[in-house]
Amino acid sequence: MAGRRAVITGVGAVSAFGVGYDALANGLAAGRSAIGPIRNFDARTFPTRVAGEVPIEKTSASLLEKHRGVLLHVGEAAAWEHSGLLRDRKVCFGLIAAAEAWRHARCGTAERKAALSIGLGLEQAFLEDLATALDGDEIRVGAGDLAGPEGVRFRSRVDLTAEKIRGVLGLSGRVAVHVSACAAGGTAVAHAASQIERGAADVVLCGASDSMVNPLGIGGMSRLGAPSPRAEPSACRPFDRRRDGLVVGEGAAMFVVEEESRARARGADLLAVIAGAATTQDAYRATAPRPDGSRALAAMERAVRRANLVPSDIGYVNAHGTGTPLNDMAEAKAIHALFGDVPTSSIKGAVGHLMAAAGAIELAACLLAFTRDLLPGTAHFEEPDPECPIHVIGPQPLKQRVEYVLSNSFGFGGQNVSVVLGRPR
Amino acid sequence: MTHAGRMAVTGCSLRTPLGDDAAAVLQRLLAGERAAAPNAHFDASTYTCRLAATIPGAPRPTKHRKFVKRMGLFGMEVGAEALTRAGAPAKGARLGLFCGYGGLRAHWDDLMPVLERQTGDARATGAWAQGFSLLHPFWMLFHLSNNAHALLSIDVGGKGDGTTTAGSNAGAQALRAASIALAVGSVDAALVFAYDSLVEPETLLSLGMSGAATSAATAEAVIAPYDEGAAGIVPGEAAAAVVLERPDDAGDRAISFISAAATADGAEGFPSPRALASLAANLAAGDTIVDGAALASPERDTAERAALADVLGPSAALLALTASTGHLGGATAVVQAILLAEALRAGALPPIAGLDRPSAGPLRPLVRAEETRARSALALSAGMPGLAGALRVEVP
Repeated sequence: MAGRRAVITGVGAVSAFGVGYDALANGLAAGRSAIGPIRNFDARTFPTRVAGEVPIEKTSASLLEKHRGVLLHVGEAAAWEHSGLLRDRKVCFGLIAAAEAWRHARCGTAERKAALSIGLGLEQAFLEDLATALDGDEIRVGAGDLAGPEGVRFRSRVDLTAEKIRGVLGLSGRVAVHVSACAAGGTAVAHAASQIERGAADVVLCGASDSMVNPLGIGGMSRLGAPSPRAEPSACRPFDRRRDGLVVGEGAAMFVVEEESRARARGADLLAVIAGAATTQDAYRATAPRPDGSRALAAMERAVRRANLVPSDIGYVNAHGTGTPLNDMAEAKAIHALFGDVPTSSIKGAVGHLMAAAGAIELAACLLAFTRDLLPGTAHFEEPDPECPIHVIGPQPLKQRVEYVLSNSFGFGGQNVSVVLGRPR
Repeated sequence: MTHAGRMAVTGCSLRTPLGDDAAAVLQRLLAGERAAAPNAHFDASTYTCRLAATIPGAPRPTKHRKFVKRMGLFGMEVGAEALTRAGAPAKGARLGLFCGYGGLRAHWDDLMPVLERQTGDARATGAWAQGFSLLHPFWMLFHLSNNAHALLSIDVGGKGDGTTTAGSNAGAQALRAASIALAVGSVDAALVFAYDSLVEPETLLSLGMSGAATSAATAEAVIAPYDEGAAGIVPGEAAAAVVLERPDDAGDRAISFISAAATADGAEGFPSPRALASLAANLAAGDTIVDGAALASPERDTAERAALADVLGPSAALLALTASTGHLGGATAVVQAILLAEALRAGALPPIAGLDRPSAGPLRPLVRAEETRARSALALSAGMPGLAGALRVEVP
């Protein structure tokens, strides 16, 4: 299958900037941050009280109601609402982003054989469901304890988002669900490109969706100690000397990826070429990256090599850049070792850490480099850190034309993925 | 529905309800034993499905208990064992790690302290003080889908390609992803491990309510798949691992060869027989033995046999390893890769445990063990929603 290239022809996004890719693009282009107080639940007593929360009032049912028009089979919404499914924000975010990408790429019946490659995170456990199973100090799970045929498991199953996207869009190709923690979104896109290049698919809908802005998600992260202890919108400061932790975000980004000649033949707009991708593992520690960044460096090197490029061809690096002391330092070392002074930024200060969806939303941000000649900024970056010897783009985006960009996503336990995007010609 | 080419297995290990030694498990399969028993994990007396096939014993003591739950620990055990048994495959950056993960559970025991003092839907003020502050510091790590993968990569020094995929065909997906990585040359050896347990409260509840799981009260009362009265699967659990290498690299260290494929057909329930047959057709090369999906539903079993007959011919031998081991979810394909190879090497095909009255139709459900000179077999796995896996196993 020599010569087959994967191109992005559609994008959809849901982020703290709002619903739709334009909201994300315009927010980043304006150099704004969308981090704010948590509204989805009462977090006043939690150690972490800010998040990159999607600005939707209350329930996800209202989210879907509001954006009913983007779904092709809106008649299903009522049934889903009854099932409780729509309370799962990541299912809704994924559906909306997928529908937007599908529509943006002007896909139709001919594309319905598309495969699906989705990155997902932790399953949602709904407290109200679990509470019905409690009987004093005992856990009772019997048929009478849970209403409806879709019990707890079916509301929380890991691949539920993929299943629903497939159903709504009527896709008939293979489904792959990637659960490599914070590397999942990047891995899903890399897997999609691989399928195109190998001839295993001509069209793949790919991306990731996640939401941990709920009591269990925020509570669990707080107990782990990963979030910044500062409950203020500027809490996440990637690569800044004062960085002290991440801020949780939520949302989704989805892409239609096609074989290039097919896309051109049908007159699709080419947003970017997926030029190369690679994964590696740190094999170091569960909760910390390899300090010298050597395996992250290997992922970037291999991705560049697979794109048939040299490091100097890369004009921008979208860093994983969580804002945690160790992660940023290790990544900065790796970026500096391979690319020297290349402009680098992290959008996590603007939208938070979308966890499984981080790599996907960051690839969506990278498209700005080709569509607007803009390299996104690093919100709240003010004081350079000598331990991070790289050219960090400040809070405002950098106007610059580049031909290739590279995006990093690094997951728990050292699962690394790097993806190179190229300007379409 | 393409597959990724034939790769050599150079090491393997497993934990199943019938034991953790492939040769010994085969003997129990040949004897027609069934692992189904009253659920010993928790009180299921009020459940529709009260039987389960569980792994005896517990994972070995390990420092990783801080981060990983029981099934993940089993997964890590078999992964490390498989690599050791493979001899000296590639290491470091040339060793990839691919995990198939059936799906996360609620882990009720962890959540109890959090939930018992909550009111309403926990959106009320004070939720942190009312229980969330009691979460185990590593609760999030326990729940991460890739924690076993991440820690095993550390243990074995695997620094190459790696990913974790999810779903009830996760084992087949992981085998396939590993085969692709080997085929394109990004690694020289791939450790593939998969683990899953259907023996969890919410899973048993939903399987029972949907009618997919047996309601029999005793193991003896379970009616086997492909029997005219089949009435549901026995939920089980397993962990299994294989080391894959390119055949030329493996040389005479190859203990078997496999090709794997995975798909989803969009169904909300089990995949269609057509999807299963299509996967089988994609891999088949004159094979006359197939380990079926064995969903223990007369309608599905009949349709599956008819669809497979179009691919394999009407007289192909039909096995159902899960009639003995219980249904193993995302671990199924890797378990099949190991046990079918063991059977082919031994020249003996196990019967479908408990099968007394095979329903009429094409293919030949084995009521008794029989000898074989075949050197290859197909295997299918199926789970919800519409997820299917397949592999072809061949022995030298």
